[in-house]
Parts: sequence; C-alpha cells; structure tokens
Amino acid sequence: MEFSTVLQSLLSGLTLGCIYAALGLGLYVVYGVTRVLNLAQGEFVMLGGMITVSLSAFGVPLFPAILLAVAIVSLTGAILYRFIIFPARHASGSTLAFLTVGFAFAVKGLTLLVWGWEYRTLTSFLGSPSIHLWGATIFGQAPWVVGMTILMVAGLYYFFGRTMLGRALRACADEPLGAKTIGISPARMGLLAFVIAAALGAVAGATITPLTMTAYNVGIPLTIKGLLAAFVGGMHRAEGVILGGLLLGLTEALSAGLMPSGYHDAIALSILLVVFLARPRGLLPAHANIED
Amino acid sequence: MAAVEVTDGITVEAGRARTRRRVLVGVGLAVVFTLPFWAGAYPVSIATMIGFHSILALGLVLLTGLAGQVSLGQAMFYGMGAYISALLTVRVGLPSWPSIFLAAAATGIIAAGVGFVILRLRGIIVAGVTLTVNLIFYYLIMSMGSVTGGATGMIGIPRLVYPGNLPYTAFIFLLVWLVVLALLVFSRNVVNSRSGRALRVLNVLSGGSEDTAQVLGINTMKYKVSAFVVAAVFASIGGSLYAHYTRVIEPSTFHVQLSVIVAIMVIVGGVTTPWGAVIGATVMICITEILRAVAPIVLGGPTGAYELVAYGVVLVATLLFLPEGVYSLPKRLKRRRRASR
Repeated sequence: MEFSTVLQSLLSGLTLGCIYAALGLGLYVVYGVTRVLNLAQGEFVMLGGMITVSLSAFGVPLFPAILLAVAIVSLTGAILYRFIIFPARHASGSTLAFLTVGFAFAVKGLTLLVWGWEYRTLTSFLGSPSIHLWGATIFGQAPWVVGMTILMVAGLYYFFGRTMLGRALRACADEPLGAKTIGISPARMGLLAFVIAAALGAVAGATITPLTMTAYNVGIPLTIKGLLAAFVGGMHRAEGVILGGLLLGLTEALSAGLMPSGYHDAIALSILLVVFLARPRGLLPAHANIED
Repeated sequence: MAAVEVTDGITVEAGRARTRRRVLVGVGLAVVFTLPFWAGAYPVSIATMIGFHSILALGLVLLTGLAGQVSLGQAMFYGMGAYISALLTVRVGLPSWPSIFLAAAATGIIAAGVGFVILRLRGIIVAGVTLTVNLIFYYLIMSMGSVTGGATGMIGIPRLVYPGNLPYTAFIFLLVWLVVLALLVFSRNVVNSRSGRALRVLNVLSGGSEDTAQVLGINTMKYKVSAFVVAAVFASIGGSLYAHYTRVIEPSTFHVQLSVIVAIMVIVGGVTTPWGAVIGATVMICITEILRAVAPIVLGGPTGAYELVAYGVVLVATLLFLPEGVYSLPKRLKRRRRASR
C-alpha cells in the first residue's frame, strides 16, 4: 500500500464526508423540529446545483448566483412545508415521509422538463487549481467543499446556541407543547426548519457541483446517503450526523482506493449499514432517553 | 360482516352491495381473462405491465397494510427474481420453469435473512434501511459486470415453454393475471386466518402495537419476517416472469425508484385492501401511458418528465384528500350523498 494512495483516499474521503454531513444536517434540522423524515433533501441539493449552473451560464457572477439559487430553493422548501406538510402535520411519520417523496418526484420531473437529462457542471470556484501534496492530488474545489461544511456547522452552532430564534427552534424540537405555551408557534418554526434545510441543501449543491456534477436524477442517491449518514451517527444530535457523514465519506473513498474496482459504492453502504444495525440508536445517541 | 339475524334495511342494503360487488368482480374477471382474444397488442402489453406491478403491490399490501411495516425494497426482490432466473437459464442452461421456482426459493431465503436483521427496527427507519439495501443491490448488479452484464444488463433470456399455439404475449398475459388472481385469493385468506389476526394486532399503522402483541404471546418477529418473505417471493415470481417476458433485463429497472413507485401505487389504490394494489397499479400505469403518449406531443419536452410530476401530485393529493386511497372513493361518495340528503 502506497502512502500516496492512502493519503489520496483520506483527502477525497474527507471531501465526500463533508458532502454527506451537509446532507445529514438538513435532514437533522427538519427531523429535530418537525419529526418529518424529509426524503426530498437530496432534491434541494440537486436544485441548488442546477440553478447555480444555469445562472452562471447566463453570466451571473458565481457568488450572487449561489445566493439567488439559495433564495429560490428556500422558497421551494417553504412551499413544501406550507402546502404539503403543514396541512397534514398531525398525520403519522410514514404519511409525512411519503408527502416529501411526492414533492421529490414532482421536483425531479419539473427539473427534467426544464433542464433535460444532461449532466451539468461548474468550474472550480474562483478557478482554484488542483493542489499536489506528497503524491496525492486535491481537486481545486475540495477545499471549498470542506470550508462550506465548516462554515455551515459554525453557522448552525451560532444560530441554535446564541440567537433567540435558534433557541426557539430548539425549544420547539425538545418540548413542542411547552414551546407553544410560552408563545412559540410550531407552524412558524416548522416553516423555518424547512427553509433552513432547503438553504443548506442549495449551498451544498452549488458547492459540490464542480466536483460531482449534477443532473435531475442525483437527488435520490444523495438523500439515501445522507439518511444513512444521519442514521449511523444518530439523528438526534448534530455531532452524530456530522460524524456519520464523515464516516460514510471516508469508507467510500477508502474502499474505492483499496478494493477491486467497481464495488466501492456497494461496499461502503454495506459497511455503514452494518454499523447502523449494530448500533441502531446511532454512534452518538441522544442526550436524553428520547423515544419515537 | 355477517349480520344476517337482523333483517332491517341496513342488512338488506349490505346484501345488495355484496351481490353488486360479486357481479362487478365476475364481470371484471371475464373482461380481464378474455382480453388477449379481443384486444389489440398495445392494450394487452399495458395490461401485462399492470399485472406485473399488481404482483409487486400485492406483496407490499400484505407487508404494509397487514403487518404495518413500511418497506421500500420491492424492486430489489423483483430484480432478484429476474436476475437469478436469467442467470440460471442463460449462464447455467437450466430450463425456464424450474429456474422461476429456484429464483423464488433463493429470494425467499435471502429475504428471510434480510428481514430477520432489519425488522428488529421499528417505524419509518425500516423504510430508510430497505431503501439503502435496494440501492446496494443496484450497485452490486451494476458492478458484477462479468456475471450480470453490468449496466447493459442481460439479453437472450429464453421464453417459457408451453403447450398449445397461443401467442406468447397472450400466454404471458394470462399467466401474470392468473398469478395476480392467486395472490388476491391468498391475501384474502391470510387476512381471515389466525396469522391475519395476529398481524392485525401488531400492525402499528392501524392502531395496533407490537408490545401488545408480544404480551398476547404473539411472536412478532416470526410474523413480520414471514410477511416480508411472502412479499419478496411474490416480487421474485413477478421478476422471473418479467425476465422471460421481455427477454432483456437491465439494472435501471430495479433501481430504488421502482420500489418507491410501487409504494405510491399501494397508497393511491388503498393500503388496507388487496384490491388497492390492483387499483393503484392500474391507475398509475394508465396515467403513465396516457402521459407518455400525449404530453410530449401536446406540450413538448422529454418523455418521462410529466409522469414523474404526475406521480408526485397524485401521491400528495391522495395522502392529503383521500388517505384510504381510490378504493375508498365509492364509499366516500355514498356517504357524502347520504349526508347531503
């Protein structure tokens, strides 16, 4: 085993891990506040990428394009909550999950109508060149992906820990009835959670597109991988979701680097699935004894 | 159901409804099983596809409607049936009929193993895990190129051998719908059996509880895994027949999207009754075919896009406005008519 191969795998694993962590965080915010398993999270990521690509093609500079994409995708998140989830908010968990599936299908179909089936990509942000390090190559976009995730995590910590609105969201997640009693509207908080998740997804989508490309059908696999990452780490804590994401990314990259070709996707998912089945409460279980 | 002692207006009406239902089922059967003799090739091929999807959906109705387990893995077991049967006939050279049964047995054993591990989990998590297992299966057949043909799939799968000189498409059509009929009868018998009662107690989706079932001495794992295996074997038989029908299979058919679509069919038709599976499959396949034929011509755009949007809209509309599915529509309309009177 050559050092450079391992280093290469670790570096691309870290990058992939950040992508899955970002996906997991979106799932975590929605699940925490509304107890909805949002199977459309991958579609937010896909939309964020597609819209950024198109805006760039129209000549909009990169960062305004991303901001605009985030705004549009956030709006679709708000639509999902207000018109699909909110009317059925008292329904069972599976009904709510299937409502998000319906939304995901509609988004996927509309994307196919508007953009066609072609894969699209962006150049690395600000034309960042590839970095060579002890025989390993880091794609120019990789540091952006890692940076985006760190920024996302820091932003969420600040928001949930330091701001009034973030605390209200947490209150709603921990104790919906109590939160309602002191005047926090669960409906507003639910809407906010979906908007945050959509925005996180859009940022992630724009950032990963130069690395992974995007097309109308990338949403479902992304959702499943984010879900698995969140399950493995523990859906009840942000740290768990991030840990799960990094674990999935590293497993995927290491099996791609070390195993016979072709099987890495199946192997990585299987390993993570086994970890989850061995520890079904997640590697970092909830602080309190939360039962669903 | 049998309130025959009292002969008031309600039971008379119930008796009439039963007669009407029997007539409806009889006419339906007559229409379906004579279809290849009077309909053209295109309607028969669509009805065959409805049959295949009904088989998948019937398995899911047992698993979800009866056992309360939300599973999104039917496409995987469909794919196992198709690929195992194809491998046994093309690569091993076995005749096609035994290969269908061997595939069903192998799929059943695999499903028992998978079910035993994942059905310890509860609730919507099961859906997430079956979805993941389905994705793993898809990646596996994609990467085992030397065996499964990878992304291009397998060709040259032999036809089923049968006596008589019926056209092959008509033969497959009749066979598929015979399987559907057998599964409908089987499902009805299970519902009214000891196992059916046990499953109703542990069905968390219809107000049951696994803890209660366990207190009553019901081995919940045994019943849940059995339902999972039966659903998988249904799907496997369907998959084998599909492989010998189209004679060409490719991995994309068995992607997670099909598992989700089967679940949508069950929800749209009505999860509480085996009829819901057939109704849901019929509604969804008809929507697909109509949109594929009309939308790209009238509205432009790529084929396949409109049906995705339609699936989403139909699913959301069903869950919001008709949670018991299309099956409950006549009852609902009647209740509304009575209320307005």
